[in-house]
Amino acid sequence: MVGETLRNLLMVAWLLPLAGFAIEIFGGFWGKRTSKTAAWIAVACIGTGFLCSASALVLWGNSNGWTVLESDGHGHADAAHTEAAHPEPGHSEAADSADTAHSKQTVYSGTLYSLGKFGSLNVSLDYYIDSLTLTMFTMVTLIATCIHLFAIGYMSEELTEEYVDHHAHLSNGHHVHRPGRFYRFFAFLSLFCFSMLGLVLAGNIFQVFIFWELVGICSFLLIGFYTERKSASNAANKAFIMNRVGDFGFLIGLMVIWTYFGTFQFGPTSNADGVITDPGLFGMIHRDAAGTLLTDPVTGDVAITTVDGTPAVDGAGQSRTIPYSLLVVAGLGVFAGCIGKSAQFPLQTWLPDAMEGPTPVSALVHSATMVAAGVYLVGRFYPMFVQEVLLTIAYVGCITLFVAATIAIVATDIKKVLAYSTISQLGYMMLGLGVFGWGAGLFHLITHAFFKSLMFLCSGSVIYGCHHEQEMTKMGGLWKKMPITAFTMLVGVIAIAGLAIPGVIAFSGFHSKDAVVASALAFSDANPGHFLLFIMPLITAGITAFYMFRLWFFTFLGKPRDMHVYDHCHESPWIMTVPLLVLSVFAAFCAVGGEDGPLYQLITGDEPTHVAAGIASTQSVSGLTLPGHSAIHDVHSKAGALALFAAVSGTVIAYVLYGTTLVNLAEVKRHLSGLHSFLWNKWHFDELYDALFMKPAHIVGKFCAWVDKSLFDEILHGAARTCVIVAKWDRLFDEKLVDGFVNLLSRATWSVGDSLKVVQTGKLRQYVMFIVVGVVTLFAVLFATFPR
Amino acid sequence: MNPEFLLSAIIFVPAVAAFLLAFFDSRNVEVIRFWSLGATIITFGLTLALWMQFDPAVPGLQMNVAAEWIPTWNVWYRLGVDGISLPLVLLTGLISMLSMAASWSITKHVKGYMVLFLLLESGMMGVFLSIDFFLFYVFWEVMLLPMYFLIGVWGGPRKEYAAIKFFLYTLAGSVLMLIAMLMFYFDTGATVESFNLVELAKVAAGAADAKLATTLTPSLQITAFILLFIGFAIKLPAFPVHTWLPDAHVEAPTPISMILAGVLLKMGGYGIIRIAFPLCPYGAQYAAYALVAIGVISIIYGAFAALAQTDFKRLVAYSSVSHMGYVLLGLAVWKINEGTGATIGGDFWLMGMNGAMFQMIAHGISSAGMFFMVGVIYDRVHHRDLNRFGGLMAKMPLYGGLSAGLFFAGLGLPGLCGFIGEVFVVISTWNYSPLLAIIAASGVILTAGYILWAMQRVYLGAEYKGPHAEDITPINGREVAIAGTLLALAIVLGVYPRVMFDVMSTSTTELVESLKTGYQKAATTVNQSQAQR
Repeated sequence: MVGETLRNLLMVAWLLPLAGFAIEIFGGFWGKRTSKTAAWIAVACIGTGFLCSASALVLWGNSNGWTVLESDGHGHADAAHTEAAHPEPGHSEAADSADTAHSKQTVYSGTLYSLGKFGSLNVSLDYYIDSLTLTMFTMVTLIATCIHLFAIGYMSEELTEEYVDHHAHLSNGHHVHRPGRFYRFFAFLSLFCFSMLGLVLAGNIFQVFIFWELVGICSFLLIGFYTERKSASNAANKAFIMNRVGDFGFLIGLMVIWTYFGTFQFGPTSNADGVITDPGLFGMIHRDAAGTLLTDPVTGDVAITTVDGTPAVDGAGQSRTIPYSLLVVAGLGVFAGCIGKSAQFPLQTWLPDAMEGPTPVSALVHSATMVAAGVYLVGRFYPMFVQEVLLTIAYVGCITLFVAATIAIVATDIKKVLAYSTISQLGYMMLGLGVFGWGAGLFHLITHAFFKSLMFLCSGSVIYGCHHEQEMTKMGGLWKKMPITAFTMLVGVIAIAGLAIPGVIAFSGFHSKDAVVASALAFSDANPGHFLLFIMPLITAGITAFYMFRLWFFTFLGKPRDMHVYDHCHESPWIMTVPLLVLSVFAAFCAVGGEDGPLYQLITGDEPTHVAAGIASTQSVSGLTLPGHSAIHDVHSKAGALALFAAVSGTVIAYVLYGTTLVNLAEVKRHLSGLHSFLWNKWHFDELYDALFMKPAHIVGKFCAWVDKSLFDEILHGAARTCVIVAKWDRLFDEKLVDGFVNLLSRATWSVGDSLKVVQTGKLRQYVMFIVVGVVTLFAVLFATFPR
Repeated sequence: MNPEFLLSAIIFVPAVAAFLLAFFDSRNVEVIRFWSLGATIITFGLTLALWMQFDPAVPGLQMNVAAEWIPTWNVWYRLGVDGISLPLVLLTGLISMLSMAASWSITKHVKGYMVLFLLLESGMMGVFLSIDFFLFYVFWEVMLLPMYFLIGVWGGPRKEYAAIKFFLYTLAGSVLMLIAMLMFYFDTGATVESFNLVELAKVAAGAADAKLATTLTPSLQITAFILLFIGFAIKLPAFPVHTWLPDAHVEAPTPISMILAGVLLKMGGYGIIRIAFPLCPYGAQYAAYALVAIGVISIIYGAFAALAQTDFKRLVAYSSVSHMGYVLLGLAVWKINEGTGATIGGDFWLMGMNGAMFQMIAHGISSAGMFFMVGVIYDRVHHRDLNRFGGLMAKMPLYGGLSAGLFFAGLGLPGLCGFIGEVFVVISTWNYSPLLAIIAASGVILTAGYILWAMQRVYLGAEYKGPHAEDITPINGREVAIAGTLLALAIVLGVYPRVMFDVMSTSTTELVESLKTGYQKAATTVNQSQAQR
């Protein structure tokens, strides 16, 4: 019953934006260009979605008595929330009766409808609702509502019949004039919200892939919103194609899972009587209390288990297994998709370019929600990841967070700084998940969503106020002109930098970054070989504080660098500042209480069972020890102190360099020009990929076209020409040889006859003489031939 | 309606309408157009009636029609429909109707064009509905000739070259099919049932109730399969016998391109699934790896070639090569245990086969749509050079939006029809060969590359860069109706693919089962003869 209501509420939240999209795109096309109706429809849809999500969250909590919030410290050792133990699927109402010993049911899964059924294989659209789903739903709809409201102000210049795009030029040098596209922007935003919520609600990995692609295309449409700008359409293509590179890996992962498990579903499927018929992916991999995978005693492969955790057998009586290596392949494949979507190394280059889209898009799609989908999926698919995959995730995150942070130091475009900071923070989340800090990574996802969307909106407010000036080198001293923006931005900056007065006040980023760093420290303590996984995020915490405060000082403090920009600058209207204030409250206080607070407890309410205890090295395949909750708790204060120290140092350096005039910046830049240009050129990734992939692809394409034209067709033409030549010879043979012979004969006959006509004299004596000569000759011949 | 009558009506209504056109005054162009459109609408209505009467739960062919035609050669007029042919019949009716509506752009010799067009439709319907091998062959050839003239008379600058290339290529294929057909005929004793595809398939499957006594030997199956496959692969088209396709498409007028891509290519896939596979299960399994490899090569090769094109229509034509590769791939992912001859992971093969069938329908819709969209802009500016477009999204917003939808369907975007076919085929491939599966999956990157790049050059950008800018007028109602119908269907099939899978699944399941047993029987005899040696 509860499951059904939850499902219905979330489905309303999910489908409303789709309906909104349809109305907005058609209504807008035939409606007036100056009408704000589309925006209000979009806001109504997503706002209702937020109400539905929030009530679903409350309903869910009430139904299980808010057990997840009853903090049991960091022990959390009881493994009661076993996914496999919760049948509710099939929309049956037998849910509560099947509850396990300790807690009320918290996970609800089931099928919406089937896409195709082939023998025992069934591809369907499902739903999977647990605490993570609900948290994500509420977060996404809340932030999306704020951003929709903000966008009504930000995009208001589009409310015209003739919009002048100053960044797009015609061949005659004039600016592009076009009708405003206010409605289209909100239609795309609604479509995006639908796709994103579908991704979160998805109950199987294939369905995730479906919405994965859909958010990708929405991102494509929104990045390329200013279709007249070449740079925008290039960036949109780059974003989609680089995501497809990751999706190629995702597909490989899907293939392995499909071939060996025969199902995509996360949770169990049950029949009408509430009996579980199919355990679902998470129930088909069994770990014992120490986190070791159940293996087949004969082959040593990983056993695929049934509902009750015993090895499954196929139709022929063979036990079903999957080679460990393929489990790694499947995990890496799915993670490849996450690399693309979450802009991780080595596919990170698309995200900075994606800033070509309008700023609300950057806030919603490219910082808070879509790019976090990769992190979300890693968290969601966690039970299927083995140690090698987790280690890869950790290192990818580690490299990403450092590389992106270094580039952010030198960037001067306000949105580019935030874009690199997003990449870097996503790296933190990945690192957290990779070092077995499941809760920490997802915790950071939520807090980051709030403070980064806040900062992007603030940057949007600055850009709007400065009439589309994005270069920080032309700003400065803006706090006097736009105090609300400056203040809310400062909240975001403090949050992301992780500054706090321990025990007194701490903003959200402090708590979540703390949790990630603590997990990393526990991991590197347990596996000393991997010390970089702790050192790098620690250093980067300092860099983060540095570049974020650099951004704030650059923009809001000091003297105005460009008086023209400064003079025309103004604070944004209320429709833009109110969302800023709302978000700043969440950015500051959403994580209150840290890991004992409600948000963290809520996220980890349905934590995968093997995370709490950790995995001891003695039994792990690759010799990795994955720390449990208690190990992380032990190093927490140490890690927190170190991270805070790094953040404070970064802040101080930033203040000295940009907040005061003590240091000559040009001098510093000149001394470090080599390093500066290396970072300025983003570690040369774009050039590298261009040379490695783009050019070769075009060359191979040209080659294929050449083969068609100059090889296959030439062979064909050659054959055709041969036919013609043979035919010509045929004709020649007929005309010259056969006909020639016949003609020769006829000509000979003719000429013989012609020459004989002279003997036709009509003289009788001559004829008699011919007869006599003839007879004599005949006889002579006769006697000569036949002598007897 | 009486099924016998219904099936024959579907085939012959267009032909009769074409015959009656002879009595029209050829100056009454509009009357002729509406008459022909009416005929295609009626035919499509009849195919819908067929769908209503069709019982998806019945395995095998239903609504069978059998009448003697040429008794001395044992040729019968046998028709029937099952879950494999019905979707294609529906597709043919639909695409014929829409491309007839697109034929308003034809202004030269309208009457002749309409007559040939309707005859073509009769031929196509006949191919999908006949279950007598000889009758199938006859319709196959009937369809060829109108196509030749439609390209050769109403085509572009190099129409003669393209028409002859198309004709000779296909004719070469049908000669091979003729040889195979006669092989089957004489090998089964030239009896009354020797052209009956159902009975021939029963023999091949070793069914107990088979009326024909002889068994088709493995070596005969291999030879016949190769002959048939080459014939159908040309039509599909598969690498390396695909080179007729770009030329035919580029030169053909827009509606004929829609028919070519939407229906004619499907005959290759249909021939494989209806004739080559059931009649030669041993041969099919023998060649499975080659088939899968050819499918994968077609996918990748077509995508790369599309990337290099500068002619808009040629690019779409190469995308057809790439997309039809999935059909071949899905059909052939038949993995067996070499020792026992038993099929491994039969459900994956079943999925691949369903995916391939679905891909045929999906491609019929998306590529017909893409060709139509190219035609719409070509009618206005009379060129197709990708580098001389741009900015059309601003000049023709509705056209731009519909095009984007249809091109996304071709790109394989979820929620649109292309996705289901491609992905179902690809994920069923790992069971057969991980290597080929990975190569096939890499196609998603290239597809995104060439489609997005083309869209960027045509629809996006600040301004239109080519000639005849003044002729760019907004898309008209007739064009919106055609493109809108195709896009709506693309969405329906993408969101609820069961519409088609429910029609197909009983038939494909039965086909897979009979192929399995047929192969197993043939493999046993091969193993025995090897053991005796």
